[in-house]
Amino acid sequence: MSTPLNNTTPEPRRAEYASREGEIVIRPHEYDGIQEYDQMLPNWWLAIFFATLLFFPLLWIGYYQLGFMKSDEEKINSQMALIEKAKSKALDEMLAKLDDDALINQWAKDPAAVANGKETYLANCSACHAQDRSAKMVLAGGQSIPLPGLPLNDGQWKYGASALRQFQLINDGTPADNPGHNGARMEAWGQKMPPLKIVEVVAYLISENTKDFVVSTGDAPANP
Amino acid sequence: MTPEKTTITYDDRSVRHFMSASIFWGVIGMLVGLLAATQLSWWQMNGKFLEAISFGLFKAEGLSYITFGRIRPLHTNAVIFAFVGNMMFAGVYYSTQRLCKARMASDFLSRLHFWGWQSIILGAALTLPAGLTRGKEYAELIWPLNIAVVLMWVVFGVNFFWTLIKRNERSLYVSLWFYIATIVTIAMLYIVNHLSLPTSLVHSYPIFGGVQDGLVQWWYGHNAVAFFLTTPILGIMYYFVPKAAERPVYSYRLSIIHFWALVFIYIWAGPHHLLNTALPKWMQYLGMLFSLMLWAPSWAGMLNGLLTLRGAWDKLRTDPVLKFFAAAVTFYGMATFEGPLLSIRAVNALSHYTDWTVGHVHSGALGWNGFMAAGMFYWLAPRLWKGKLWSTSLANMHFWLGLVGILLYTAAMWVAGITQGLMLSQTNPDGATLKYEFVETLQTIHVPYMLRSFGGGLYLLGFILCAINIFMTARRGIAEPMQVEVMILKNKDRMTLREAFINDPVCHAIAALCFMILWFFLPTHADKAALLVTLLLVYRSVKLFKKNSTQWSDFFNRLIDNYLPFTVLIFLAAAIGGAVQIIPSLLVNKASQVEERVQTLYTPLELAGRDLYISEGCYNCHSQMIRTLVPDVMRYGPLPDQGYSRLGESIYDHPYQWGSKRTGPDLAREGGILAAEAKQMRIGKRDNLWHFNHFMDPRQTSPGSNMPPYPWLFDAKTDFKSLPQKIAAQRTLGVPWPALSRDEIEQSARDQGMEIASSLVKAGAFLPDQAKLSDDQLRNHLAESQVIALISYMQKVGTYDVVESDGKRPVKWLDPDSHRTQFRAAPDKNTQN
Repeated sequence: MSTPLNNTTPEPRRAEYASREGEIVIRPHEYDGIQEYDQMLPNWWLAIFFATLLFFPLLWIGYYQLGFMKSDEEKINSQMALIEKAKSKALDEMLAKLDDDALINQWAKDPAAVANGKETYLANCSACHAQDRSAKMVLAGGQSIPLPGLPLNDGQWKYGASALRQFQLINDGTPADNPGHNGARMEAWGQKMPPLKIVEVVAYLISENTKDFVVSTGDAPANP
Repeated sequence: MTPEKTTITYDDRSVRHFMSASIFWGVIGMLVGLLAATQLSWWQMNGKFLEAISFGLFKAEGLSYITFGRIRPLHTNAVIFAFVGNMMFAGVYYSTQRLCKARMASDFLSRLHFWGWQSIILGAALTLPAGLTRGKEYAELIWPLNIAVVLMWVVFGVNFFWTLIKRNERSLYVSLWFYIATIVTIAMLYIVNHLSLPTSLVHSYPIFGGVQDGLVQWWYGHNAVAFFLTTPILGIMYYFVPKAAERPVYSYRLSIIHFWALVFIYIWAGPHHLLNTALPKWMQYLGMLFSLMLWAPSWAGMLNGLLTLRGAWDKLRTDPVLKFFAAAVTFYGMATFEGPLLSIRAVNALSHYTDWTVGHVHSGALGWNGFMAAGMFYWLAPRLWKGKLWSTSLANMHFWLGLVGILLYTAAMWVAGITQGLMLSQTNPDGATLKYEFVETLQTIHVPYMLRSFGGGLYLLGFILCAINIFMTARRGIAEPMQVEVMILKNKDRMTLREAFINDPVCHAIAALCFMILWFFLPTHADKAALLVTLLLVYRSVKLFKKNSTQWSDFFNRLIDNYLPFTVLIFLAAAIGGAVQIIPSLLVNKASQVEERVQTLYTPLELAGRDLYISEGCYNCHSQMIRTLVPDVMRYGPLPDQGYSRLGESIYDHPYQWGSKRTGPDLAREGGILAAEAKQMRIGKRDNLWHFNHFMDPRQTSPGSNMPPYPWLFDAKTDFKSLPQKIAAQRTLGVPWPALSRDEIEQSARDQGMEIASSLVKAGAFLPDQAKLSDDQLRNHLAESQVIALISYMQKVGTYDVVESDGKRPVKWLDPDSHRTQFRAAPDKNTQN
């Protein structure tokens, strides 16, 4: 075993030597005129390198060996459970103060609600029910062709004509036991929209079909 | 004995050929990219604009050959394999000969390589717009072309290594290390990801399905970026930057660390393209952690490039070559910082599927690849065609146009990506529903989309100036061969494989890696022991290195005097990462990987529809993967019993269709149950008429959409005849199709087509150019049309059967997550109680 002390050959010039001596070593070999310095690696660079290397075992040990942190499934399931809870709470709150009378006499007569409802309708509903609620599209050639949805301007309310029924229908979609209109079944918009938006759409529809929606006198009185 | 001398003539003809081809295909590829970019802003760019420019001669809402779904793959393949590929070959052929002091080994192989590669590109340019595709990103070419690519790559490899054998330079320079890594690794990646079972001359199914296909795809896709767009260009940087700057390379030891770290680490990072998806978590973590580790090694390359320019900064003002190189290396640094950032799972949750990724890719492709190419072209042109560059000021103009172009492009994509990512996850004040419809988020980023096209246009303009400049330089110059006198070198490459492997550095590295891998996979407690051994081995090798640093570096210096053992070690380093991720996922049996849901089998018609979906390139804009993230589940899988996508839901999909970008919404929950009284027809989230109208005119059903119309689907007939062959191939691949005769398959497809056509006619479907048909005629016409097959697939996407299980995940070897489930069982029970 030889130690640097009794080594007779001179120490080769490497980067350590250079940093000690304060000079830059250039490697002796030349490739097609290209030379190479042999400089030390910058410390800040080494710090980044070692930090990222170290992070690997730390995270792995934390997650797999020590059981820190929830798995993705645990996380998403608990988050979605909270959201479902909030959703049904919001729906219950809305349903508690909703009846035919409130829809017809308050919501449908509130211009702001009707305007918001129209906006929502045009963005989400017109693809199937048409902008003019006829469920028909007029082509450039003049032909009028049906769209997937039911008309909402013909006085027909296939799933029940009460105002509250419209809210339930939009919220829950086409009833599960019903084959739908030519096989077309409306999705449950309550999954996507807060109850308020659906109420506004109903208010808009009522305001456009005032004759179809009247509070029947035999009904229970409106909320006090 | 005096060394023999000889005069050699470098083969610069091949270099000139490759360089010219690169410029030619570069212009085409970028032009196609610009068209694709404008299509995202204006749907009319998918063909309707031809009506205006042909003064009504051409009349259609869209032209199949140039729809986004078909030309986006054309763009990516053209810029990667044609532009950068030819540029890389030019740089490799030029520098390798000089670094080896030898002419390329075989003129025949050089010529075969050149013409073979150009024919493949031509083949790609003809097949991709025709809708002939394998449906995997950057791996779209059909199987006969795949075989041609492999053959040409072998020709390139043989030519290159043969030149190394004949070299008159004892030691291999850094550039050659990178070229070696490129050749061996790309061969491995390309072959594995293109393994497929042909069903006809132009169609095949990948042998991997579902998650395995996704994993292999991104192992390949990510490392195509690493070993096709990065390592060869780094090799080119190490040769051309010091040449142009006339300065020594900044640091040799930085080169060594940088090289080995890149080659080893890059391969592991592929799963960062599948973060937060159904991909098992341990692979997601490996993908993320190794991506973070790539930051420093990548920056080492940037440092070596930029610091080599130290002392030559004054030349930057006058020399366009150095300007391009300095900017390119800076963009390399920017892109390789952004990459690790985007692969952090939390950041990726926002950025993935958005334009941020697109911007990231382009800061690499336009900034790093494109500017390195330009710098190299401007440096080479006066040397390949003896003379002066035709116009320095034109080259400077190219630089500034290009730079502004890239900055506009990437800034626009940052804005678009981050805006859309934030909007998609924004909820209403109730916190339980989402605020924006998908199409609203798309409309919001309309302006950045236009700016992107503008930036890309500027970049293309600059590149056209480059083409003109190089062309004029070539016309005025003379292409005369360059001759040099060299000493013939014998007695090289003496190291045996044994010497190369049986030594402290290699043995320690291999042993430590083996124990590290055991640490991932061994059961609880044994894994900790493996980790301990790994750490001890690392400690021991550091001590040995301190003690014997001279021997260790002499070993490496000797290694680079010997191309073969060096190449073997490079291959090993590059192969490990993929093996650790892919082999377990193939071995862990499929049944334990389904997460209680198994995909419902397609019917023959649905399979035909799925092949159309792939052929039209729908996966370029639509994903089929609901990630384990609240905004994804709320938007796409809200019903309590559906939720995020599970592994089993796509287990029979060859190829997988999880997607990588959402220009349109996710489709994983489009499919639904059998319709009432229907034999095979399903109705999903939307009914048949909706889909029918949507393919005819997407803006009728989704106002504000930028999806192209698909009028040809309504006339073209579904190819029923090929179905038996396709189904037979899928059975071979393990998809449990029932045994059906040829007639049964065709009959089933026709019956289902008729069922859907009847429902559409009943609902009042209308074909404007077939207005005179009676209901019966229309039904018969539609039943065989491609749109019906596609609708049948849309109504099937993502449907699954629930598998009974006890809810416990079996603990398995090679599945680290299963160990953790067992381990976490106790705390879970506590929270339930």
